[in-house]
This record gives sequence, structure tokens and C-alpha cells, in this order.
Amino acid sequence: MKTGGGCPAGTSSEREGDMMRKVWILGLALVLLVGLGSGVTAQQRKIVIYSALDSEVTTRVVNAFTQRTGIATEVLTLAAAGTLATRITVERARPQADIFMGGSIDFHAPLARDGLLLAYKSPAANDPAIGKEFVDPTGFWHGWYIGALSIYWNTERLTGRAPATWDDLLDPRFRGQFLMPSPVTTGGGFIFVATQIFRLGEDRAWQWLKQLAANAQQFTPTAPAGIALVSRGEAIVGMNWGHDVQAMARNQGFPVGLVFPPDTATEIGGVSIIKGGPNPEGAKAFVDFLMTRVPQDINAQFGLRYAVRTDSPKPMGMPDRSTMKFVKYDRAWAIENQARIRQRWQTEIGR
Amino acid sequence: MAVWTRTRGRMMADPGLVVAFAAVGALLVLFVLYPAVRVLIYPRLADYLAIPDNPRWLQAARNSLLMMVLSTLTATAVGFLYAFAISRRDMPLRRLFQTLSVLPLFAPPFMVAFSYILMFGRQGLITKALFGLDVNIFGWQGLWLVQTVAFFPFAALVIGAVLEQISPTVEYAALNLGATEGGVIRTVLFPLARPGVAAAALVVAISVLADFGNAVVIAGGFPLLATEAWFRIEGLADLKGAAVAVALLIVPTMILFLLERYWVGQRTYTVLTGKGTRIEQPPTPPLIRWLLFGGCVVVSAFVVIVYVGVLTGSVATVWGYKWTPTLAHWRLGLAQGGPQLITSLKIGALSALLTSAVAVLAAFITSRPTLPLRNAIDFLAVLPAALPGVFIGVGYLLAFNGPPIILSGTVWILILALSFWHIPLGYQAARAQLKQIDRSIEEAAQNLGATGMRVLWDVYLPLLGPAFMASFINAFIRAVTNLSIVVFLITPRTLVATYSILAMIGGGFWGAAAALTTALLAIPLLGVGAARLVLRVGLRPIGAT
Repeated sequence: MKTGGGCPAGTSSEREGDMMRKVWILGLALVLLVGLGSGVTAQQRKIVIYSALDSEVTTRVVNAFTQRTGIATEVLTLAAAGTLATRITVERARPQADIFMGGSIDFHAPLARDGLLLAYKSPAANDPAIGKEFVDPTGFWHGWYIGALSIYWNTERLTGRAPATWDDLLDPRFRGQFLMPSPVTTGGGFIFVATQIFRLGEDRAWQWLKQLAANAQQFTPTAPAGIALVSRGEAIVGMNWGHDVQAMARNQGFPVGLVFPPDTATEIGGVSIIKGGPNPEGAKAFVDFLMTRVPQDINAQFGLRYAVRTDSPKPMGMPDRSTMKFVKYDRAWAIENQARIRQRWQTEIGR
Repeated sequence: MAVWTRTRGRMMADPGLVVAFAAVGALLVLFVLYPAVRVLIYPRLADYLAIPDNPRWLQAARNSLLMMVLSTLTATAVGFLYAFAISRRDMPLRRLFQTLSVLPLFAPPFMVAFSYILMFGRQGLITKALFGLDVNIFGWQGLWLVQTVAFFPFAALVIGAVLEQISPTVEYAALNLGATEGGVIRTVLFPLARPGVAAAALVVAISVLADFGNAVVIAGGFPLLATEAWFRIEGLADLKGAAVAVALLIVPTMILFLLERYWVGQRTYTVLTGKGTRIEQPPTPPLIRWLLFGGCVVVSAFVVIVYVGVLTGSVATVWGYKWTPTLAHWRLGLAQGGPQLITSLKIGALSALLTSAVAVLAAFITSRPTLPLRNAIDFLAVLPAALPGVFIGVGYLLAFNGPPIILSGTVWILILALSFWHIPLGYQAARAQLKQIDRSIEEAAQNLGATGMRVLWDVYLPLLGPAFMASFINAFIRAVTNLSIVVFLITPRTLVATYSILAMIGGGFWGAAAALTTALLAIPLLGVGAARLVLRVGLRPIGAT
């Protein structure tokens, strides 16, 4: 084995060859190490997505995005928005993802407050089909779907008239047979309590909630848990996100009925860009894409969530959005008073 | 002073032992203590001081302690009786009971609880269809039942390892000295099993405190610290609150740990010959034998019910309503989770191997009376059991997502987290077993010139085989079924099967989730069975070998 020119002829070419081999191996190992370590940066065009939606919707949306833009994606789908938000928080030193997609904006807004998100105002959000209440004025999050609170019941165990309004939940025949997510540990439960406050005024709302608590079998610590229980007849009636009830109970073949009562409230499902992620330009393209019809139609069709766009079709088997009556929900007030309301719930309702 | 210099002198004479000691110590500090500390210092002091203002937390702390006492008592008692029963060679159906007792270890916790809701809930197959009862299983009573069934195998495993080491010669000696058969059990076997019982109670108590999977499904509106930590994260993305809840959990664990060390550590235990002689056990008195048999039947029935639930769930069209058998869930489960299944098995095997190696080595080191700091290592080896998985996941991300050690984004962060989280059970089993091995064997080896590590290798390792196996199997199963750590440490490039299971549950596909879980557990189980059949090397059932 000859070594390159310049070197004075060695007395022991064998030893030199040995040296070279070592250098080669060392170099190769280094390249390998660096290559392994920088797997993310090597693929400049790729974006990394954390998705809190179900895997079917996520896969379809992401594939449509790649088809449209040619930008490849790596996706981690966990139907657990709080876990993903926590993960983004602790990855702060070295962000591993570009996009946080799905989950209520109540999870996105605190990330923005902690300086973990990148502000961006998507030009696509100026579309007249998108209400301006769905985009954060500071640009940290964009809303792209909404879910609404519903009342649902097990049709095999329910006797008599189905509940149609919030007040019907106080009916004594539901004593010990009502379930809803805990307002202390879930976003949905909290929005429900705030809804009652906006509907009845704070003092009357707490009286009403105490009466409701007398009917409650339990306040489930996670939101989806209650749906599985009412589906299987462990309780008769519950309150939960309509699209989750539809997807997890009715579409699985369980005997469950569903209604969106008057004075209901919504959550806005968001998307945001993680600051310091590997590919911010690709991430912006992704946010632009989510504002268009294709992904919002996919979400309505396969995730049963209402699109924020007024020109997207309604989810199958669900009422038209225009027939739903919403309470006047003041999001800013709700967030501001969140800690106080949760505290009051614990002292007054005590479970 | 004199003791210290003598200790040092002996340590210096044995460099192998010193290196092993330093290595195990460094590993435990780096991969147990450091991540734990990173999470605990994440909240500010004010967050900790605000604990009394949060009635839910105080209630959760009370509830956690209540469940710890209740479930530990029952799980350890059942575990002891069960282990004792299957240690009797003349117990009918002994092999069957032995195998059944290990089965709950193969079921991810949420499955135990979920099965029991189906069987014993308002619409339960047993409570409603069979007895026409209207039972609300949610709350502390249901949790008590589930935790007893889920954790008694831990106790049986640890106690069984000790009972197995008791030589029948001791029983004969007592009988020859005029003891009655019942007296032998009371005055000889029980006291000898005591380090095992104490170690088992500790493992169970800590596991109950940190139990998340059962509680989250069946505790209903009954707040507990371990679940509270999870709700803070998943419901509110409130990591500070979660860390505070876990800190509250560590206090009782610490007390338990000191209690166990004080209670067991202060007594000298009978020294026995290393490996049991080949003498047959004396027969068990018939009354006791049949009482134990009856107990085993009842406990086994509760175990079998878990599996009936999971299996039915994986083939029933709509769980609870349309019982027509279908393979659709299996097709969906395997199609979506197939490749991840393989990754899970690889990661599980690798991490279980690491768990067992560190656990056995740590147990050996802490059993050396001469080493300084051994209590610290002892504590670190038990500590992970007190930490909920969520906490480990977050801790590893905080600790290893930046200099000096960057592991995030690689598969190693997941393997290491799973490995070190599962050390306590193997460690306790090995410790309990070591206490039963006669020092004189070691002294003989030393007199023949063996070093500390040589003693470990030639004398103890062969005797620690069962503890190693128990640790490996337990760690493997926990690793492949883990969810709480996985959600924080997987990357899009290293997806595992439980990730798919979570996705299925999130989408409401409980049937497919049950099918994939069954496949996940059946593959290693069949693998072990096949290997045993082919090799016939006398690899006995894991339970009480």
C-alpha cells in the first residue's frame, strides 16, 4: 500500500501502513458517529411533526402535504396533547421537532408564553373563509379545526326521553349515572364549567354545578375515559367532545346517542411552529398548508372535527355547524380565571 | 479509624471488586439519581410551598398511603401463601399454579384493570350476567382488588426465590427434634422466609405507591399521587405540578426503605448451605396442603379472568355488545403494529439484559459487608420503583438532551431508561437470595485464593441464576409493554409496539389494541416455551425456581 507523495520514504513502510489503517478506521468511526448524531440535519428538506390527532387523520394530512410541496416528513403521533406539550417543554435545550399539530390551543398558548414557539403569520390564514378569531394575533398558533361539547348516552340503558339541554342533566333519574371529565385535570371539563358560568352567571353556575355533582358517578381524570365507560353501560349519560364520542363510540358500533345542546362551547384545535426546530422554513409551509381545504376536509371526513373554514363540508353524521348554538365564550377571561375556578371547584365540589 | 483503614486495605487488595463497585455506583448515579434530581429541581421552591393550598394533592397523598397499606398487606400475604404452596413438592397441580402466578406479570396493568371492569363492573359478565348484581367497581375497593392481583406475583417471585433455597434437611432436623409438622412451618420455614417477605413487601409497597396503570383505569374519581402526576402532564401540560406530586411520593418511599433496612437488616439470619441438597421434602400436613390448594385455586381464577377478558376483547366484534367472534381486530393490529413489534422485542431483550446484569452486580456489591457507601448504592437500586414512568421519561429528556451527555433522538435513551427503571425487582430478588447463601462457601473460596469478583463469578453467579432469570423476564415484559416512558423517549425513527397500542386506544380501537398486546406477549412466551422444549436444559418455570 503506497501512501501519498510528499512524505519522505519511511524506513519501515509496514509500520506506516499500520498507522494509516488506524487513521482510516478512526476517521471512518468519526464519520459514522457524526453521521448518526446529525441524522436530522443531514436531511435538510425534512420536517419533524408531533401530532396529537389520531393516526389516520395525521397520516392522510401529512401525505397530502408531501404530495403538494415535496417536503418529506417524520411524524410522531401521540393522541395525548399534554404529553406532547410537556415533551416540547423539556426538549427546549435541543428542540427535536418543527411542528406541534392538533390539541386545543389551550396547550399551544402556554408554550408560546414560555417562549417555546416561533411567531409566524400565515398569509393563507387571510382567506375570507377563515374567521380571524381562529388565528393568534401574535402569530404563535393557528387554529384549523374545532370541536364542540356534547351530551351523549347509552341508548340501551336510557329509559324515557333523551337529554337535550344542559339542564336536563340535573334530572334525578341520572343520579349516580352521569360522567364527565374532571375540570381540575382536563381542558374539556374546565371549558364545560366556564360554559356554565357564561350561561348562568358565576353565582348561579356554582349552585347548578353542585346539583350536577349530586348526579355524578365520577369525574374522570382523562377526557376519553368516560366515553369508553358510557359506551359499555357503566354509566348512562355523559358530557364530552362530540367528535370523540362519534369516533370512539358510535363508529365502533356501541349503542350511543349524541346531541349538541344549546349554549355549548368549542375548543379550537391548533398548529404551531417550535422555535429552534431543525427546519423552520418547511414548518411555515406546513402551517400554510393546514389553512387550506385539503387537510381540513380530511380532518372533517376522517376525524369528524369541524373545519374552521366555512367552505369545508361538515363531518359525516354530525349536525351542520350553523344549527349549533354557542354560548358567548370569553376565552381571555376563562384563561385568566382558570386557576381560581379550578381552586373553587376543589373546595366547593370537592372531587 | 481502624475499621476504615482495614476496609480500605481489603478493598485495595481486590481491584476487581473496586472497579465493579465504582462502575455500578457511577451507572446508578448517572442513570437513576441524576435524571431524578433534574426533575425534582425543575419546580421552584414556591411550587413546593404551595402544596397545602391544593386540597386535591393532600387528598391524593392520603389516598396513596391508604392504598399502599391495604394492597401491600393483601398482595404480600397472597404472594407468600402462593409461593409457599408452590414450594411444596406434594402440592397438587403445582406446575400449573407456578405458571399461572407469573401470568399477571405478562399483562400490561391497564389490561388487568380493564378486564376487571368487563368482568366485575355494572355490566360485568360475572357480577351482572351471572349474579345479577349492580356493582360499582370504580374507586378504592376495585383498585384494591386489581392491585392485589397485579402485584402478588412480585411478592411470590421474591419470596419463592428464598423458599426454594431452604434445604429440606432443616425441616427434617426440626422434625427429628420433635417439632410437629405445623410447628416446623411456623418456627422454621416462616422465620427463614422473613427476609424474602420483607423484601417483597417493600417492592410491593413501592410499586403500589407508584402504580399508575391500574389506578388510571379503575380508580375513577379517587385521586392518587402517581396518577395525579400524569394528569398534571397530560391534562394540563403542567410539569412543575407533576414534579411536586412525585416529590410527595418519594417521601413515603424513603421511609419504607429505611424501615425495611432497619427491620430486616438488624437481624442475623440462619445460614444455610448454598444449594439445596437432593433430599425430598417431608410431606406437608394434609389439612394445610388442602387449604393452600383451595387458596391457589381462588387466586388462579382471578388471574385467569384477566386473560379471558383480554382474549375475548381481541376477538369480540364489539366488546360487551356484539360478541360474534372476528379476526378483524387481529388483522388491523398486526398490520399497523407489525414492524414496531420487532423493534419492541429487540429493545426489550437488550434492556432486560442490562437490567439483570446491573441488578445482580449491585446486589452482590451491597451484600459485601466491608464496602463503604453500600447503603447509598442499595438505596439507588430501589429508588426507581418509587418513580412513576412519566417521571423517568421526563427526567431522561431533561438530563440527556444536552451536554454533557446527549442521548435524545437515539434508541439508547429509551433502552437505558427502561433498563434502570426495572432494576428494583431483580435487585430485591438477588438480595433476598444472597442472604440465604452460606458465607462459608465464600470463605472456602477465599481461602483457596479467589478474589471478590472471582467469588461472584464462580460461587454466587451459579446460585443467583434464578434471580437473574426472574429479573430478566420481568424486565423484558415491563419493557415491551411500557407506555409511560415510551411516550417521552421514542422518536419517529424508533417506534415501538406500545406506541401503536396507544394510538389504537386513542382512536377507540380497543379490540385491535387487545390483539396487538396479546401478540406482543405471546411471542416471547412462545419463544421461551419453544426453547425450553427444544433444549430441555431444565430451565424451570420462572416463578419459584
